[in-house]
Amino acid sequence: MKYDFLDPEALARLGAMPLEARHAMTGNVAGRHRSPHRGSSVEFAEYRKYVQGDDTRRLDWKAYARSDRYYIKEFEADTNLRAYFVLDASASMAFSAANDSRIQFARKLAATLSYLIINQGDAAGLSVCQEKIHLEIPPTRRAAQLNNIFDVLAKTEPTGETGLVEALHTIAEKTNQRALIIIMSDLFCDTAALTDALQHLRYRKHDIAIFHMLDKQELQFDFERPHRFIDMEDQTSLVAEPALIANDYRHAMEQFLIDVKSACHDVHADYHLITTDQDYEKIIHDFLSTRLPKKGRK
Amino acid sequence: MSVSFLQQSLLWGLLGVSIPIIIHLLNRRRYRTVQWAAMEFLLKASRESRGKKKLKYIIILTCRALAIAALIFAIARPLVGGFLSWGGSNIDTVILILDRSSSMEQMAENADESKRLSAIKSVQLSLENLNNPKLILIDSASAEPQSIPSPDALSELSATAATDTKASISALISNAIDHITENSLGRTEIWLASDLQKSDWAPDDGRWDAIRVGLADLPQQTTLRIISMASAVTDNIAIRTLSANRINNELSLEIEIIRSDANNSSAIPVTYSINGNRSSETVTFDGQSYKYTKNLALGNKEGEGLGFIAVPSDANPRDNVSFFAYGEDTPAKTYLISEGGESNTWLSLAAAPPGLNDNECKLLSPQQADQIDWAGATLIIWQAALPSEAIAQQLNQYIETGGAALMLPPRGESKNSFLGIQWGDLLTSPQGQYFIIDDWNRTDGPLRNGVEGTSIPASKLKAIKRRDIIGEYTTIATWSDEKPFLIRRVIGNGTAIFVASLPDYTWSNLADADVLLPIVQRMINLGDSRYSSAFAAIAGSSKAKAADGETRSRVDAYTESNSSNAAYEAGVWKLGDRLVATNRPNTEDEWLVLDQNNMEALLEGIDYRLFEESGNSKPLIKEIWRALLIAMLAFLIIEALLCLQPKSEKKKSKTPL
Repeated sequence: MKYDFLDPEALARLGAMPLEARHAMTGNVAGRHRSPHRGSSVEFAEYRKYVQGDDTRRLDWKAYARSDRYYIKEFEADTNLRAYFVLDASASMAFSAANDSRIQFARKLAATLSYLIINQGDAAGLSVCQEKIHLEIPPTRRAAQLNNIFDVLAKTEPTGETGLVEALHTIAEKTNQRALIIIMSDLFCDTAALTDALQHLRYRKHDIAIFHMLDKQELQFDFERPHRFIDMEDQTSLVAEPALIANDYRHAMEQFLIDVKSACHDVHADYHLITTDQDYEKIIHDFLSTRLPKKGRK
Repeated sequence: MSVSFLQQSLLWGLLGVSIPIIIHLLNRRRYRTVQWAAMEFLLKASRESRGKKKLKYIIILTCRALAIAALIFAIARPLVGGFLSWGGSNIDTVILILDRSSSMEQMAENADESKRLSAIKSVQLSLENLNNPKLILIDSASAEPQSIPSPDALSELSATAATDTKASISALISNAIDHITENSLGRTEIWLASDLQKSDWAPDDGRWDAIRVGLADLPQQTTLRIISMASAVTDNIAIRTLSANRINNELSLEIEIIRSDANNSSAIPVTYSINGNRSSETVTFDGQSYKYTKNLALGNKEGEGLGFIAVPSDANPRDNVSFFAYGEDTPAKTYLISEGGESNTWLSLAAAPPGLNDNECKLLSPQQADQIDWAGATLIIWQAALPSEAIAQQLNQYIETGGAALMLPPRGESKNSFLGIQWGDLLTSPQGQYFIIDDWNRTDGPLRNGVEGTSIPASKLKAIKRRDIIGEYTTIATWSDEKPFLIRRVIGNGTAIFVASLPDYTWSNLADADVLLPIVQRMINLGDSRYSSAFAAIAGSSKAKAADGETRSRVDAYTESNSSNAAYEAGVWKLGDRLVATNRPNTEDEWLVLDQNNMEALLEGIDYRLFEESGNSKPLIKEIWRALLIAMLAFLIIEALLCLQPKSEKKKSKTPL
């Protein structure tokens, strides 16, 4: 296999698990996902009173016999899912302390999930956002789409400052139909602006899933000796005594995570904080599992 | 409080204080460079921790530096106590000037030993902490420098034992300076242990100028360290004999009792011992001092005799006794040098009343004054122009050696001056008016009240003629216009009294005997004490020392004495054929202390330190290395706690996940 971020065995193991949308989707073709519209599936949706213009073939005659009133029996419509992978490709995504870099980890996640999505007949697209470049592959169901996505993932190198917020606003504006937006980023941007962008997506009725990718060292900050820290995005540097600032750093990081989680919660996003030392297969397994419908539902 | 060090060179180790700082700075330079993504939080944390965290880190660094400093100080063996200044421990010789005057035997309040012993012990304890400097003792009694082999010997030496002498601090310091000048002593310090009694320090002594110059001229800087034992003493009673005169078969003792607490008017039991016979009585008085006369019967005892008066032991046992000795009764011989006239009769009668003690009065004209037997004269009454030249010199010497002189104005004018006194103009009262006595000293002088408190009727005196008295004197009685009637000049051991009028009814009614007789008789008594003073001496004076060929033996039964210290102790002694009663000087009973201003004025320009001793013996300096090691430990514990704290916090918030 020419893409090192794909593991066939993992794909085989995860292939049995479907990716479910948590909200109703509006696809082009019939699929396995719930649609906001009424349709012709076997799933009963509701009764509603007959109004002029309704197709008389949809009248429930048994209900008329029982109640002497005209009711239309409606059924759920099933449609396909359109998934957008939004990959943050800013320079900070190249950070790696000991494990895979964030971008490498994101590649694995995006590639595996896009494979699963297209494999189950849904559409997948990719949006790579950097400070100035915003590369976009619109979602399609074609199998050839996978090659497009994998190629872009392989060629994407993290550089510059992040353009995540602008990319999310663009996607929200351009994507008319409801879609599943899967964001893979370290979210190192203005939290208020990010919240706005997420709310914009939510306003457009998109289902949002976020893989918040951090390195374990970024969370623990367990340096011993003085270090010169160089910003990966704008190259500013800071010489610091870690013992002096560790607590304040951890406190600031904690607050950041709280803010991000709060923003995600407000827009009902499917938020996953992951560290790059974790097993990506397990992360995807957990992600898919939590999205499965509860018992009693289809 | 100052600090000095026994191992001063080890203080170079203080440079080691910089080690933690150097390590810190080196550590800061040896940083690693890392690419970092979460820079926003790092910058925020750096901004927030700039204040308190930096302070905390500075405290940690300070604790480390202080711990090293405390360790270095501890091994340099610091001495504290305010007694030694910086570098003061590096002494080659200590010259200890020990005031062992009578007043140093006082016990301070709450103390269980005398000031002298307390000072000695303090010096011993302090010297133990020094590098065994050479010790030279100059005690106040002998004033001679002597080398002491070990500080331990100080308390055993007779040269540090109690005495009844006074101390001349200026002379002792002068001796110390001479000793330093004459001997090569290295780095020397003068330690002076004294109770700062003003009479011992004699601020008016001319030697202080020489001391200031002498100390400044020494080849090496010499510090004078004063161990002040000036703490107050309460409830002390001193007794002393002012005079002991034998009159026929009685001994008339003039006694003074002084107590430190003027508000305490409790009865004082006084013991009288004369020739081995003891008696006692209780004396009660108000105030601080009380003078009274006690006549002790001698029976038919012929020749010399001795005795003592004592009060119970108190805070200073040395001033609870006073010794006296007396000789044969000698009739008083008065020389009346007169220019003639009525006054001769009354003065002769007053000097030698018929039937009184075989007293004799010899009348001489001023031209016959060379016939005076100065050695045998009890009183000289001079009623003529004041003496001049040879006679004036002889009279002056007579007074200086303890004689008494009563000077009366001449009838004619004279500009002669004697003892700095001159007779002024003759004044005559207006017709029908008199000069009268307005005020006179009732407690001291010839017009003092009698033993029973009866006063002399000086106010009955009426004068129509008088002379002014010109010069410097002490006024005893004044006329109603504030001019002097009776004045006193004390020269050496003797006294001269000048009377402004004559016992002549053309001058005044002084001849009525109400005033004249007490004046003359009291002057005779005063002059007579010159003979009894032959038996009295001040402890430590040349008179109290055995002359060549004389052997010393103590003859009173009051207490035993230390033979090597006997010359400085009070008692009654047989020195060859002489009988001498030695006592402490009266000045030792004056509890006046040199104050700070006096001290600064006296020692102006001298490098001196004053160390106040509380009265209990304790080291003037002590080592504090233990305290410094504890301090070091404390600094290390604080440093450890400050270092540990972040780790525990780190654990708590290790993963913000």
